[in-house]
Amino acid sequence: MYEERLDKRQFDELRPIELETGVVPNANGSARFKIGGTEAIAAVYGPAEVKPKHLEKSDQGIIICKYDMMPFSVPDRAKPGIDRRDMEISLVISNALSRAIMLEEFPSSMISVYVYITQADAGTRCASLTAASMACADAGLPMRDLIAAVAVGKIGDSIVADLSKAEEDYEGGATDIPIAFLPSKDEIVLLQLDGEVSKDELKKAIELGRKEANKIYELEKAALKRRFTYESKD
Amino acid sequence: MSVENYSYLRELAKSGLRSDQRKPFERRNIVLKTKVSNHADGSAYVELGETKVIAGVKVLPGEPYPDRPDEGSLNVNFEASELAANYPADRLIYSVEVGRVTDRAIRESKMIDMKQLCVTPGSKVLFVFIDIYAINNDGNLLDASNVAALAALLDAEYSVEGKEGKMKLPINIDNTPISSTFVKIGDAVFLDGNSLEETVADARLSIGIGKGINSMQKGGVGYFKQEEIETCVDEAFKYKDEIKSMLIEKLKS
Repeated sequence: MYEERLDKRQFDELRPIELETGVVPNANGSARFKIGGTEAIAAVYGPAEVKPKHLEKSDQGIIICKYDMMPFSVPDRAKPGIDRRDMEISLVISNALSRAIMLEEFPSSMISVYVYITQADAGTRCASLTAASMACADAGLPMRDLIAAVAVGKIGDSIVADLSKAEEDYEGGATDIPIAFLPSKDEIVLLQLDGEVSKDELKKAIELGRKEANKIYELEKAALKRRFTYESKD
Repeated sequence: MSVENYSYLRELAKSGLRSDQRKPFERRNIVLKTKVSNHADGSAYVELGETKVIAGVKVLPGEPYPDRPDEGSLNVNFEASELAANYPADRLIYSVEVGRVTDRAIRESKMIDMKQLCVTPGSKVLFVFIDIYAINNDGNLLDASNVAALAALLDAEYSVEGKEGKMKLPINIDNTPISSTFVKIGDAVFLDGNSLEETVADARLSIGIGKGINSMQKGGVGYFKQEEIETCVDEAFKYKDEIKSMLIEKLKS
């Protein structure tokens, strides 16, 4: 049984969130997303010429994505550079972004998305995807919707939102389910599961994911409004 | 950069003028925050104008090098990350150069007493890893990295297996090496070049000063005359106490 969360949160309570855009002036768009002890910085460049050339698609644009953890972001030092985990996360982020961004508007061009983790306390792929989506919006790319991503999961018998690392490592066992929505379309654009749940539990988890994603969605919209208000004063 | 911009910046420099209206030896404002990453033993975020970097320190046990069985070891790594852009050289080569120059200043200044990082002679010492990541580049990542690395080192508190409590690194603050980097455009020499100035510069000179001059690096394909180097060294000496006081002051609060 997991009746009280390790950090005393409600089962559907997210950790404190910070969200801002424009943190990388070099880039066409950028954002920083922090949720509890997890922080991601994303920068977007493009649309630009496709390199290498053979990846080019004549009828639509492509997205390349790179996710990396800073060496000091985890308890042990992570070696600088991309490992297999980083590659897989880059792939699922890129897949989700490809649905959100109207790639048909950019034939024969490339959008590059870079996400770096400055500190990690679980949920880094969801934080990365939310940051990346905000960076794309900050860049003014035409999008079907923003992406709101959150990790839900099962600890003991309880379905909870936004697991911390300590919860992921809970000795009674934990199931991690990162999920991302295009909230206004109710489309699921990222879904992974690592652990074991029943059909009913999965249903509950997705429903909780939707509810939590909507909370993040509201914060995203507010951050974008702040961005535009700021710029109009400039 | 367009031909017009290039010529314009070179022309400006001839009259000793800069694209952002600074004086030749005027440094941009530095913003410094520490404790910016939970799992790092020490960390710092630095803005030098619009140039932004983050640095993290990890203190980890390991086996000593055979030729120095009773000394810990220092490892400085700089990443010209893909968040930022407009690097003055190939990203990978530039990463290596900035990392090595930052490393040399800290190492040669002897600000860290490596002997005190020995746990068991011959078998266990502590490795100090400093990782620095560029977040945005508006020139002079060298000096931004230097300040970030120093702040992260001074901020660091680590624990050793079998010993209680947190320890500070064995740092001699008097030795702390401050880096000053100059760009040369035509015959003009400017401190703390921004990204535009770096792009049109012929050469670059970095000077790291602790008690004495601990590190130098001439970059770029251009040249310096001896008098120019001496002027740069004089200016670097003027700045080092100011930056050092700022570091100490910021880390107190």
